[in-house]
Amino acid sequence: MSASILTLSSGTKVYVEPARELPVVNISIGFAVGSANDPDGQEGLFRSAMRMLRRGAGKLTAGDIEASIDRLGAEMALDIASSFSSIHAQVLRRNLQPFTDLLTTLLSEPAFSEDEFERLRRDTVAEIIEGRDNDRSLVQRAFRRSVFALHPFGRRTTRASIERLSRDGLRDAYEQKACVKNLVLAFSGDLDEKEARDLGERIVKALPKPKEPAVRSIPEPTLQKGRHLVFVDKPERSQSQILIGGLGSRADDPDHFPLLVANAIFGGTFTSRMMREIRSKRGWSYGASSRLGVDCIRQDFAMWAFPAAQDTAPCIALELGLLNTFREKGISAKELAFIRQYLVRSHAFDIDTAQKRMQQFMDATLLGLPEGYFTDFRKNVNAVTLESANQAVKDRISTDDLKVVVVGTFRDIGEKVQSVIPDLVKTTVWPFDDD
Amino acid sequence: MKDSAYKKIAEELSNKDAGNIELVGLTDFGKWKIARFRLKNGLEVLILPDDSAPVVNFQTWFRVGSRHEQEGKTGLAHLFEHLMFNETETLKAGEFDRKLEASGADTNAGTSVDYTHYYESVTSDRLPLVIKMEADRMQRLVLREPQVASEKEVVANERRYVVEDDVDGSASELLYKTAFTDHPYRWPTIGWMRDIQAFTPSDCEAFYKTFYAPNNAFIVIVGDINVRAVLKSILGAYGAIPRAEIPPEDITPDAPQMSERRVVLRKPTPAIKVIVGYRGPALGDADHATLVVLNEILLGGRASRAFRSLFIRDELVSDLRGWVSAFKHPGLYEISLTGRTDVGAEKLLSAIDEELEKVLVDCVTQEELERAVARVELSLVQTLETMSGKAEQIGLYEVLVGQVDAPFRKLEQMQRLTPSDLRIAARRYLRKEARTIVIVEPSAEDASEVEDPELASGTSSSAVSVADGAA
Repeated sequence: MSASILTLSSGTKVYVEPARELPVVNISIGFAVGSANDPDGQEGLFRSAMRMLRRGAGKLTAGDIEASIDRLGAEMALDIASSFSSIHAQVLRRNLQPFTDLLTTLLSEPAFSEDEFERLRRDTVAEIIEGRDNDRSLVQRAFRRSVFALHPFGRRTTRASIERLSRDGLRDAYEQKACVKNLVLAFSGDLDEKEARDLGERIVKALPKPKEPAVRSIPEPTLQKGRHLVFVDKPERSQSQILIGGLGSRADDPDHFPLLVANAIFGGTFTSRMMREIRSKRGWSYGASSRLGVDCIRQDFAMWAFPAAQDTAPCIALELGLLNTFREKGISAKELAFIRQYLVRSHAFDIDTAQKRMQQFMDATLLGLPEGYFTDFRKNVNAVTLESANQAVKDRISTDDLKVVVVGTFRDIGEKVQSVIPDLVKTTVWPFDDD
Repeated sequence: MKDSAYKKIAEELSNKDAGNIELVGLTDFGKWKIARFRLKNGLEVLILPDDSAPVVNFQTWFRVGSRHEQEGKTGLAHLFEHLMFNETETLKAGEFDRKLEASGADTNAGTSVDYTHYYESVTSDRLPLVIKMEADRMQRLVLREPQVASEKEVVANERRYVVEDDVDGSASELLYKTAFTDHPYRWPTIGWMRDIQAFTPSDCEAFYKTFYAPNNAFIVIVGDINVRAVLKSILGAYGAIPRAEIPPEDITPDAPQMSERRVVLRKPTPAIKVIVGYRGPALGDADHATLVVLNEILLGGRASRAFRSLFIRDELVSDLRGWVSAFKHPGLYEISLTGRTDVGAEKLLSAIDEELEKVLVDCVTQEELERAVARVELSLVQTLETMSGKAEQIGLYEVLVGQVDAPFRKLEQMQRLTPSDLRIAARRYLRKEARTIVIVEPSAEDASEVEDPELASGTSSSAVSVADGAA
């Protein structure tokens, strides 16, 4: 490991980690702003703006750009999250310079042509329709929409919101958000510091220089009271997708690591309580897990399982019981000792390549995670006590205020599912093609 | 390490009581070197030392997959893979995972048509524990009714997830069932539902005794290791496991396909899909690399011919993919198209046929060829980024081709291809009379339908490869 942080002439910090094992260079260009601030009714604006970058730039058509990426032995991927965005690229070492030329052309001279804009709109609508086939994606979207409700994290791109976008709106969004003020850079692989500095300077020079850069501004979400069943109704389901949860943790909560450790016991490993009870003992679901989201605001806590349709109601009842026991009785000293060992030792696989270490830098910087969030991970896990873990579960995980989100066939199992959720205050049924 | 150093280690470790170990040879693998050792009981060990991180990946590959099953017992190799995480004579049910997790290990397994493999990623200091536990379950697995019954339920749920409620999974299963009439590739690795539900502990016991033996397996170790110490541990843990008599394979190959086959599947999906399967080469055939490059030109990425015409120019599809099956025996060259709203199956078929016919007549350009090979080169480099990625490549090519350096040889072969080579391969494989077509149509009301009496029983579906673990 020989990572360093360079400072460019613009003041931008760049993570650089040369690694010569393979003839490939990893490039990550991040912006500390995402889609959460898309205007009301124009959800999908910033994602669409960033997608336009490879649909024409300078004298290059979309076809020219795609052919160039392939010819250079490169790949480019976009990640547009609610609170940040990034472009990840990989290129064969021998083609770093021509790829840099291409990349900086895309960033500095995006065409935003009318034809490509209209094509992107049609492509996006086709993708939304195709997405109806993926039940896991349907349950995730519905869960986020219900947990965050009117909060920016709960908004979703729809066919209607795509229709409201304009080409000028996309260009403005790109120029205001993808700028040096929001920029975070990281490079790893087969390059040296001088090459990294040159690459960074060229990217900075290529980016828009707006008079009023967009700044990330995302309010804290609020907990919604009561137990609410959201049923995404889809015909012919032999199996249900279930997510149960609500709000979880902030990375800078003093009890963040205690909660993270407790969650690992509850649903974070192959021998977790959820896996043992749902899969190993009963065979009800191929997978069963829980997770704590991490973001720049309080994220969600979610339990996931996917049982056969006939096991859906008993599985939900079991999950609610497990959650209740988790909150009321907490974890044991033996469990804590076990999970500490697991988390501390398995951390080696979070940092075993330069690319993974580079990604941790990006995540920490883009989300504004507390100092040492990743680098002090082992120390923070070891510092968790039984008392702090159990108190964190009591303070942060609600059993009264929960969303139970199911993708299944309502007429087959809807009534039974409702009957196993005590104190259910509301049931909402969404058609699976309500997009 | 120098070649002589490996030989010296092997000689030092030879022990009449525990069994001998010999150095079989050394093979270049990119910038690395793989040493192949063999124990007297036939177990081979492939070692690639890599100290770029203080971790190691340990993989055990068994030369048994779903193609070794019998009609009526489909899915046994995959169910058995699940059962390998249960009880042994020395570990209670659940203890295998528990002990490995306590060591920070990441462990899982996968079953394919041709093989089953198990793997652990651990920090280097924990490797002796992994060796001990893997050797234990190779010879002392306990198979009891409660665990078998529970695991059958888990697999049935896995099947619902990847097949019954998954349109692509259902279509893929139907494609292979229709394309193959005699070869075992006609049934899915996960098995038919009725077979999964009928397995007994004695079925599993018989399978274990037949196929899980050192002479039907090999081990791949990649990472930051002391070769001498690792070999000593391997010898101690595996050296006394007896060989088994592995039954000779008795597979009936399909007769040449003389006419196109079509089948329609109705599912609650918003879009029509068309999946076409041409007869393809085995992974070890020289033509495999050629067809992979041809597929890259036709369907690989956003600059490919079909993407440009079907997706961009005519806006007929929302998704399109091509894949040349990487199997021990000849498989399929699969093309999958997802239509946009109101685009019918015949329109999709004629559009892709138009693209395929061009490569039968005219040579591709040199520029297209170079682009395709560059894509494959990047893809190979990406697979080598982690210890587990390297180990998987070594294991895959060892079990399917018998050459651990085949990924690099294939790339070199691709770099020597000419446009004319691709046209020859196109004419050899893109034969309409030897293709199978699955058309997925949206079902009007409830109830999935298949215009095929056997599949209509609700026992349908796919998966040529099943990767496990789902947390």
